[in-house]
Formats: sequence, structure tokens, C-alpha cells
Amino acid sequence: MTQHLPAASPPSGAGAAGPQVLYDTEVVAVGELVPQFVDQGVLVLFGEQAPEELHEFSVLHRPRQAVEGPRPGDEIVLGGTRLPVLAVGDVVAENLLNLGHLDIKADGHDRAQLPGDVCVPVGPLPSVAKGQRITILRGAAGGPADEGDRA
Amino acid sequence: MSEYRSVTVTKGKGGWGGPLTIAPTDERPLIYSVTGGGIHPVAARIAELTGGEAFDGFKSSAPFDKIAVAVIDCGGTARIGVYPMKKVLTVDVHATSPAGPLASFITDKLFVSGVKPDDVTPA
Repeated sequence: MTQHLPAASPPSGAGAAGPQVLYDTEVVAVGELVPQFVDQGVLVLFGEQAPEELHEFSVLHRPRQAVEGPRPGDEIVLGGTRLPVLAVGDVVAENLLNLGHLDIKADGHDRAQLPGDVCVPVGPLPSVAKGQRITILRGAAGGPADEGDRA
Repeated sequence: MSEYRSVTVTKGKGGWGGPLTIAPTDERPLIYSVTGGGIHPVAARIAELTGGEAFDGFKSSAPFDKIAVAVIDCGGTARIGVYPMKKVLTVDVHATSPAGPLASFITDKLFVSGVKPDDVTPA
């Protein structure tokens, strides 16, 4: 088990062992329509083996570690941005582990509107660049009840 | 040169759109499965009944003009609109409705969802 400790803030409070890495991947390409999707509050990821027609609106990536899908209270870390997971649709884990596919929606919902949605707070999604790491962490934010207003 | 047959694909429980008639031809022989874990059972069923060629989109890519139908396991955002946008008949095995940035391309003439193998019947 590797422990990837994000540099942004040390894990105080929850689990003395630090956050668990559920998923760890590296961006290999960013489609030309990704900024338009991001403007609409949607970020789409696919594993790099995805067929070509999905490339233009997707962040393609190469997973290093794929343990399980996210659940509410986990965090998605993109570069230096940490997105708390608010809700997760029924098919998210299957799509992530089989296809490297994730639909991140900055819609603030606490229930997924679509079965593939991973809901995060309303707000601008970060831009994503080739070579960047994307990780999904559990136990980094102090648990589902604590949504990150820690000083 | 193959003999092809047609099938009707109707929406399943909680699904949307269709019914679609899938009729592969020599020009468009592919039953294109863009799903996790290889050829989806719905794609396999369509291929078996039509004589079309099941094709795994995550193994290699196919030109759009060869695709008789795309079978997807989309959760509602991305793949749901990509194939209808290209005027390719699309079957989602999940029970989704038009949504996502490409929702305007998704019509009941091009798209059907919530489909299980039993929703595929000879036309």
C-alpha cells in the first residue's frame, strides 16, 4: 500500500494513518472540448483506451491504482484543488473501475441526478493539464459529517 | 456478404426512447459495444439475432459509418449524446433520459435506454 499524502494540508483529526488512496491516475491528454464542458460544470474522465470519439470532451488518463469508487465524504484531488464528494450515482464505481470513467458535476446536489454523476460543490472546476495527477482520497476531510470548514 | 436480419429494441424498466429497429448491412455490420468488461450481453444478443458483428469499442476503434448500433453503459452525461450526435442508433443498458451537454441530439428515433437482453426481439 502506498500512501500518497497531498501537500495541501496535513491530515489532522481523522484516521492517524492518513487518507486512504482509492484511485490514483495521471492525465495523458485533455480533449479540446473539455474547457466547454468545464464551463458547464462538468468534467469527464475516461481511461486512455477509450474510443476516439470520446476523446474530444474527455480527460484521458492512465490509472496507477484503482481500488474502489468514491462515496460521499471522500475527496477528489485535481492538481492543487480538493473537491469534496457530496453524492455518487449507482453506476459510478462500475464505470470508474472498468473504464476509468467519471462524470464530475459541480452541481452541489446531495443526491445524484443521473446514475453516473459524482456531485461536488457548485463552483468553478479546476483546469486540468497533461501530466497532472488525479487522486480520490478517503479520510482526508475528517469524515462525511465534516464538510471541510476546519480552520 | 452475409445474410442480416432486423431486430426491434424496446425500452426497459424506467427507460426512455425507441423502439429502434436495428438492421445491419454489409456497409454497416458492426454492433459496437462501448461498455465496461468487453461485449455487453445486450450487444451480444443483438449480434446473435441480426448476424451483425459484435465489436468492442474499448479494444479498437471503428469508423462511424460502419456502425449499425452503439451499445453503451452510460450514466447519463457523455456517451449518451456522442453517438446520437453522429446519427448512430444508440442503446443504453442503463435507464437514462436525455441529459448532459449533448442532450439536444438525443431523440426517441435514435436512442433507447434501460435495455436488457430480453428487450431485443426479432423484428
